Amino acid sequence: MVRDIPNSPDMLPITSTRYVGKAVKRIEDPALVSGTVEFIDNYSVPGMAHCAMMRSPHPHARVLSVDTGAAEKMPGVYAVLTGEDVKKWCNPMATSPEGWGAYCLAVDKVRFVGEPVVAVAATSRYVAEDALELIDVEYELLPVLVDPHKALEADSPTLFEENKTNVIQDRSYTWGEIDQVFSEADHVFTEKFRWNRCGANPMETFGCVCDWDTVNDYVTCRGSYQTPGFMALGRAGSFNLPSNKIKVISHPHGGSFGGKGGPRGTEIAALLSRKAGGRPVKYIEDRVEYLLAGAGQSWDRYYKASIAVKADGSVSGFKVDLLDDQGAGSEGWGTISVAKPLAAFTGCYRIEAAQYNMKLVVSNRAPTFAYRGYGPPPHNLVLESLMDIAARELGVDAAEFRRRNYIQPEQFPYTIPSGNEYDSGDYEAVLDKVLGMADYQALRAEQEKLRAEGKLVGIGVASTVEPGVFDWNAYSTVGVAGVGVPEGVKVAIDIMGQITVTVGFSLEGQGQYTLAAQLVADYFCVEMESVRVAYAATDVAPPHFGPGGSRLGVAMSGAILGACQKIEDKFAQVVARLMQTEPGNVELMDGHMRVKGVPGAEMHIAQVAGTMLNRSDLLPPGMEPCPEATYVWTAPNRNQPDDQGRCRSYLTAANACHVALVEIDPGTGVTDILKYFIVDDCGTRLNPATVEGQIQGGVAQGVGAAFFEEYVYTEDCQPLVSLFSDYLLPTIHEVPIAAKGDVVTPSPVAPLGAKGCGEGAIHTTPATLMCAVNDALFPLGVQIRETPMSPNRVWTLIQQAQ
Amino acid sequence: MTTGQKISVTVNGVNYEREVEPRLSLGDFLRHDLQLGGTHLGCEHGVCGACSILIDGKSVRACLMLAIQADGLEITTIEGLRDPQGGHLHPIQQAFVEEHGLQCGFCTPGFIISTVELLAGNPSPSDEQIKDALGGNLCRCTGYETILRSVRLASARVQAGKAAAHNSA
Ligand code: FES
Ligand code: FES
Repeated sequence: MVRDIPNSPDMLPITSTRYVGKAVKRIEDPALVSGTVEFIDNYSVPGMAHCAMMRSPHPHARVLSVDTGAAEKMPGVYAVLTGEDVKKWCNPMATSPEGWGAYCLAVDKVRFVGEPVVAVAATSRYVAEDALELIDVEYELLPVLVDPHKALEADSPTLFEENKTNVIQDRSYTWGEIDQVFSEADHVFTEKFRWNRCGANPMETFGCVCDWDTVNDYVTCRGSYQTPGFMALGRAGSFNLPSNKIKVISHPHGGSFGGKGGPRGTEIAALLSRKAGGRPVKYIEDRVEYLLAGAGQSWDRYYKASIAVKADGSVSGFKVDLLDDQGAGSEGWGTISVAKPLAAFTGCYRIEAAQYNMKLVVSNRAPTFAYRGYGPPPHNLVLESLMDIAARELGVDAAEFRRRNYIQPEQFPYTIPSGNEYDSGDYEAVLDKVLGMADYQALRAEQEKLRAEGKLVGIGVASTVEPGVFDWNAYSTVGVAGVGVPEGVKVAIDIMGQITVTVGFSLEGQGQYTLAAQLVADYFCVEMESVRVAYAATDVAPPHFGPGGSRLGVAMSGAILGACQKIEDKFAQVVARLMQTEPGNVELMDGHMRVKGVPGAEMHIAQVAGTMLNRSDLLPPGMEPCPEATYVWTAPNRNQPDDQGRCRSYLTAANACHVALVEIDPGTGVTDILKYFIVDDCGTRLNPATVEGQIQGGVAQGVGAAFFEEYVYTEDCQPLVSLFSDYLLPTIHEVPIAAKGDVVTPSPVAPLGAKGCGEGAIHTTPATLMCAVNDALFPLGVQIRETPMSPNRVWTLIQQAQ
Repeated sequence: MTTGQKISVTVNGVNYEREVEPRLSLGDFLRHDLQLGGTHLGCEHGVCGACSILIDGKSVRACLMLAIQADGLEITTIEGLRDPQGGHLHPIQQAFVEEHGLQCGFCTPGFIISTVELLAGNPSPSDEQIKDALGGNLCRCTGYETILRSVRLASARVQAGKAAAHNSA
């Protein structure tokens, strides 16, 4: 029997929910505050070796020779791995499009500073690092590809020689009558923007413990894996092993944000284990390694963009030319982040035509990876900045200008020019609420007053759509095949009525185990303490993906509800047999299976589970005695993209509007965030406390990207950032505590009406802050179009103005 | 290769005698030699504060000290805060749970240790004082709001506890 997944908490089989929709405490937290959680570096096994890596000091060089003789003889060293071993035992990293991945250790050449060249496994990390000192590598330096704009030139050095080009992808999309829209526009505004590299930097770096069972050719990898199933498949491809001969076990990890990495470290540790005869090998990336060459660098972008505006202030067209410096190859799937803006290309606005020209090139900087939001944060900064430019030129207030262009509530479901369908929203309600909270008119008046005193004070208003619940079809345009991202869970009720939910992902901070317990507890009307959430490794878990693309909360909810419904249906058969009625007359309510319309004819779910497991004589003939169910959810109604990449890709469209008040110190260029307001609409809030935590955490990362975080390289591609004293993460002093409010427009299509909500704040914060800084700078006649808006950059602009 | 040196340290009230290499960091010693893995390492160069521990009541970064420098010292790590008999969380730990003061929890032991130090010296800190005390701890998940609230709640609880103790005395 196929049933619809409930799209509202009211539809749960409980008189009134006790946990869903409430700010319940997280079940993850007692162990985390006690320091007893087994993060990967807390795990060890007897006989385990420790890995250290020698990394390239050159951005581009041929490896002429590697002498490991002395290191191999050093006491305490188990194995030394070089490019020669890797060439024999491993394939280059799979990429999309194909052919832009390196081997895990440099084979014949290095393409960026920090690329691993030799790895050692020894009795301790200390001994392994000693052994590195004994290794000699001879390099022949190659010309360096520094400027991505020059990647196309015939005489520029090529990084992947067999590809004969430095262009990974060059694609244009046209949606609607773009030329006509621009030629008929009353105004066209064009600007250039530069988003410098920043990235995830979770507080825990990547780590793993791998062992290669050399008898059975079976590889087990434990580690801080965000998407374990994906990791297992990729390693099977790299090692030429059947996919069921790699097992990945994900440990709880200290944040991820897309930028945890892992493929290189995992392959190196596994191959070292193979070379050391199957001894388990631990690799813990240190922060210097992470900053130089981990998965922490993202979004190195040069934009030129235009909007077309009619005299009445309606925006009719949006064109974006993007040059994206992917760094030394696309092993980090950075291509995907260039494609993601298709899911919300035109933001909150009724823009009829759009165009996207994207050029992805390589350079001798570290490869770029995913980072929370996966592409829209820079894209939104471009669109929202252009909205401000247009508003100013037309003499319309920034908030009012946006209001005039919003998609209207009655227009949902709304298909945007780039093809995605937004499920629901009320953008004006969100705007009105945040303007009310900020007392916008008074704020503008205050700004006037301060400006008159000569202060550089600015207000930023930005509205965005957060596409949630990704589907692979969103990325097929950059070469990723597939429609559907299954997320599976197993729900099992034991003979005592205790319930276990088995999932394929581990903890990384979003509170998903708590959400699982909330849902199951309300579905079967038990205490949350009666629900345990168990992690299953890739070899036994149902099909799963894990966190990513603002997806897991919704996808897991769908899977849990589906599994609970299946159990309910089984229980109905059992109870119908016992009570001599039809299964259709039996329903679950408040933890009891009841015969409809017969008061007192009911059984508690624990009794039903017990009957199934103990009394086969009482079951319907032939019934499987299994009070458990597995359900694999994927978003409904997805489709294949057309030749312009148009498809229903992301299931939900959350919305947010941020308002910021900033003041710039003209003497130092330092920007102070004086006030910050957020209203967001992510449909049903399943746990308001964790939703707010996601928002505030995203604000912090947005502040970092806007003002502080940057991977700086020299003119010859030498990285200048290798410590947290160079890469500036915002501290408690820099992050504003945003005043937050909500509007709830449930999704009509998603489980319980909830929308993906993990990324909305980082989508919106950098845009809001750039709009605010430019508003502050406006009286000086200068504007900033580059991130981060560091004191130095702002100060230099102010000097130019004077 | 280096040779070992004998040290004697007291961690969470337990005395340990160990032979360690002079170059072994205190962080590695606690985590791997003593299996007290709650002291996390986020940077190993003194910036993130995840490795904070208390030595004689003062917070110290375990990544910036050598194990041999801890010879003869009294150390408290995150594992030492829970009541060892009843297993109850320390009031500061409890406040972090109640106020959602953590997401991934990797930075959390460091924040809690810094808070222990703060409230020991100043049981009712202002927000500015809290920020000053926690300004050397990085968190990538929370955006600090709930951490600030956790510390406020912990402070209120400590105050209430003191008042109760005072009244019953
Ligand atoms: S690990 Fe010690 S301060 Fe970061
Ligand atoms: S909770 Fe993840 S770093 Fe603070």
